[in-house]
Amino acid sequence: MVGARRDEIMARMAMMGADIGKSNAEDYVDVEFFPDRPDLYSSEGVARALQGFLDLKSGLPEYQVSPGEIALRVDPSVEKVRPIIGCAVVRDLEFSDPAIESLMDLQEDLHWGLGRNRRKVAIGVHDISRVVPPFTYFAADPSFEFVPLDFEESLSMEEILKRHPKGVSYASILEGFDRYPLITDANGNVLSFPPIINGELTRVRDDTRDLFIDVTGTDPVVYKALNIVVCALAERGGRIEAVRVERPEGSLVLPDLSPARWKVDVEEARSLIGFDLSAEELASSLERMRFGARALLGRELEVLVPPYRADIMHSWDIFEDAAKGYGYDRLVPVLPKTVTVGEPHPLEVQKSDLREIMVGFGYLETMPFTLTSEKVNFEKMRRLQDDGTVTRVLHPISELHTMVRTSILPSLLEIFAINQHHPLPQRIFALGDVLDGGKTRQDLAAASIHSGADFAEVRSVVDALFRELDLNPEIVPSGDGAFLEGRRADLLVEGSRFGSFGIFNPQVLQSFGLDQPAVGLEVRWDRLWPAGRL
Amino acid sequence: MPKEEDKLSALSPRDRQVLKEILEGESDPNKIAERLGVKEVSVISSAEGLAERGLVSLDKKVEEVYSLTEEGARYAEIGLPERRILEIAGSEGVPISEIKDPSLKVGIGWLKKKGWATVEAGKIKPVGDASPGKDEEILAALLFQGETSGSALDQEALKLLKSRGLVESRAQKSWSFEITEEGRFSLRMAEESSRSSSGVLDYIAQITPDMIKNGVWEGRYLDYKGARYEVRPYDVALPAERIYPGKVHPYQRLLSRMREIMLEMGFSEIKGEIVQPSFWNFDALFQPQDHPAREMQDTFYLESRAEIPDYASVKEMHEHGGDVGSTGWGGSWDPEVSRREVLRTHTTSVTIKYLADHPNPPVKAFSIDRVYRREAIDPTHTPEFEQLEGVIMDEGLSFANLLGVLQEFYAKMGFEEVRFRPGYFPYTEPSVEPEVYIEGLGWVELGGAGVFRREVTAPFGIDHPVLAWGLGVGRLAMLRLGLKDLRLLYQSDVGWLRDAPVSARM
Repeated sequence: MVGARRDEIMARMAMMGADIGKSNAEDYVDVEFFPDRPDLYSSEGVARALQGFLDLKSGLPEYQVSPGEIALRVDPSVEKVRPIIGCAVVRDLEFSDPAIESLMDLQEDLHWGLGRNRRKVAIGVHDISRVVPPFTYFAADPSFEFVPLDFEESLSMEEILKRHPKGVSYASILEGFDRYPLITDANGNVLSFPPIINGELTRVRDDTRDLFIDVTGTDPVVYKALNIVVCALAERGGRIEAVRVERPEGSLVLPDLSPARWKVDVEEARSLIGFDLSAEELASSLERMRFGARALLGRELEVLVPPYRADIMHSWDIFEDAAKGYGYDRLVPVLPKTVTVGEPHPLEVQKSDLREIMVGFGYLETMPFTLTSEKVNFEKMRRLQDDGTVTRVLHPISELHTMVRTSILPSLLEIFAINQHHPLPQRIFALGDVLDGGKTRQDLAAASIHSGADFAEVRSVVDALFRELDLNPEIVPSGDGAFLEGRRADLLVEGSRFGSFGIFNPQVLQSFGLDQPAVGLEVRWDRLWPAGRL
Repeated sequence: MPKEEDKLSALSPRDRQVLKEILEGESDPNKIAERLGVKEVSVISSAEGLAERGLVSLDKKVEEVYSLTEEGARYAEIGLPERRILEIAGSEGVPISEIKDPSLKVGIGWLKKKGWATVEAGKIKPVGDASPGKDEEILAALLFQGETSGSALDQEALKLLKSRGLVESRAQKSWSFEITEEGRFSLRMAEESSRSSSGVLDYIAQITPDMIKNGVWEGRYLDYKGARYEVRPYDVALPAERIYPGKVHPYQRLLSRMREIMLEMGFSEIKGEIVQPSFWNFDALFQPQDHPAREMQDTFYLESRAEIPDYASVKEMHEHGGDVGSTGWGGSWDPEVSRREVLRTHTTSVTIKYLADHPNPPVKAFSIDRVYRREAIDPTHTPEFEQLEGVIMDEGLSFANLLGVLQEFYAKMGFEEVRFRPGYFPYTEPSVEPEVYIEGLGWVELGGAGVFRREVTAPFGIDHPVLAWGLGVGRLAMLRLGLKDLRLLYQSDVGWLRDAPVSARM
């Protein structure tokens, strides 16, 4: 379709911004484009862009729209439910099966990306020979019946939303409306029930030659989607014919394929890209990207944006295309001259001290997940849930990850549980974030498991830890359910608790499936250096 | 020290002991170990050394040994299901429908296969005398004597039992030793020389403080309390007990190295909250409110709503494009949507807030922190992972400067070959995807970068270009640590942590 050699295309496509999939097949390759370029969702669109990038054709593609007689009247009743509609006719198409498939793929990709899963944009494609213009777009009563695509009997719109697979998938878009959008012909036959399903009547077959295209939605991006579809069909040899859309406030002739006209500043482009490109080089780079571009007197470029481009919001979007057209591989990287002095974050400095101390005690560092569950974080630990401090996620993906941890120790016990086949003693620690009332706090947790683990061991570690930190916290008996009564202690600073340690309550060990004694400690160390907090 | 001793000093006391045992006709290392009160592995290691010197001959065999599985052991006690059905059936037979226990049902097929019964009209009828099969004999034997060499058992029946999951096997190495002529001679020489030359009375295993204080030493010979002793020489090549040092996590070492690189390049470290309002996570970055990345499928939303700063300029930018010549997204921007809190999906939420607080150039900042995506766990996806992000804001910066910073950064990370491909990120323009060349893998995408859009910077009064890049560090860690499964970083295998050498270069 492009008219160039395969390897050349592959090599250049990457520099155009495509992700090339791995393929060993001779005649087939998977290519992915970024979501900002829905015009590249069809092979026709990709061919058009490649022809420019490979210097086979350049500048703005010209599409003729011939005048037509067909009209569609927009009834004010659609204003609330789905106000915007764009239409066009494309004639003289040759539809082999792969071509129909390609059109369907483009339609689905547009529904998904630009259309936000049909909510914002939905596209219908019809065999126009089956219906009689003029057409009407209005909001009908849900009891209205017709034969939807892939069905043999007629269903009411209400039933379609409940029974038709597409109806079930997209019913939520029409939730809360008492009348549903519908496009009918002069005889009241249904073309489409947007954004749900077309009528069976206008199904596109391999003998279809002339198409009527409707695009409905809630945002003017509808007109872009229409342009993308008709331009792709025109690349396939179709003849575009205008449709008059009669809105209550006045008529539109669609599709509007006139290019948007931008004036951009050459100096601004040069300074953004950081490369000394002349106005002419910028213009020819843009032409390779299928823009129209010419240097104006002074320091400006006039740029014509192809009607199918939905991503040009700002002059920098145009400059990026100029840089791509020139070739990222031809730009020379330059280190900036900005002089600054780097500073580590105090929290990280403290973390690295703590890490050094714990490693010195012979503890292995671990880095468990911060997502956990109430079951692990509280229940198995015999700790009470304090709902005021728990950060739960609204739609957890598994019951293992329903909240962000408020303590690291449970994760260490989980690590012991999966490592029972390795020799003991095992001594591990972790430094990291916990959430306390939605605020990020810093904890250090450590645990040791072996047949001789007892309070004295963890007490020694706690003492040595605070000796190294040059701190002297108060140690008092604790009520922490995770540890065994009489062999557990709290750490206080200025009378308030910032950590605890002890020998784990055997019931806690049992709940994690452990059968050896273990001791542990956890401290909220950012309480010790308030200056280091977030 | 006597010369004769030197010649034979290669024969350590342990070697001598082992050699002596072998001389006395013991050929099983396990038994030798038992008699000497040492580990079997040191006997084998000693014997291997002796064999190398031609003092013993050594025969190594590998054979399959069989034992019962849990299920097998149960059947060995209570009988195979087919045997038990026969017992239930008696001579009359029994309807199939009465065999309800699923553990018994499996026996019906075997009854037919073994020709012990027929099934007609839904009824099991015993045929013949159903004498005990080879398989049952093996079960009984294994139950009685435990692990047994396969060579002693019927192969057909073993295969059958293995396929039923009733027995399992493992390879067992066995050794046997025999002393050679030279071995006999060496041992005699060694014993004679140690007796005649030094007059040593006894070996010492452990040196005590008193021996140091009061002994008279000459090499490893000691005159102590009126007697002469020898400190028993060790075979220093023998393995000792394994100990495991405390270590920094290999992934943390990679993160620390990346922090160092950023600090070396003059970037200051910034940090922020895990919980962010959508405002900082999305809206401030010009992500339209109906953008698919904001949907429930991809982002962990929380119940809570946050206070957000004055949003008028952000709202104006989204709706109409502000005064930077942008079209904006159109539609209407809803502050309520912006208040919804999320677990940050990228560190950029922290970056943009920092820039909003520090709008004057120059700024060079970075962060390495955990971010959250609503993804199911698999070998290459985890719902939380570390992200590195760097930004530079200064007067006159350009896209080419961004490429320069990226090249420098990746070179410091050890990637000499970097190429730049166009990319797309909603908040940068131009955007670029750096790729590094890795031997054996080719070009690998490693991160994303771009210049912050004017629509992002203008509402916060940031008037100079902001160059930004980021990468998911997990992917780099997989490459560097040779991991196939990202989960191993977080669900630590203690064996892996113990075995990963500290010296592994990141």
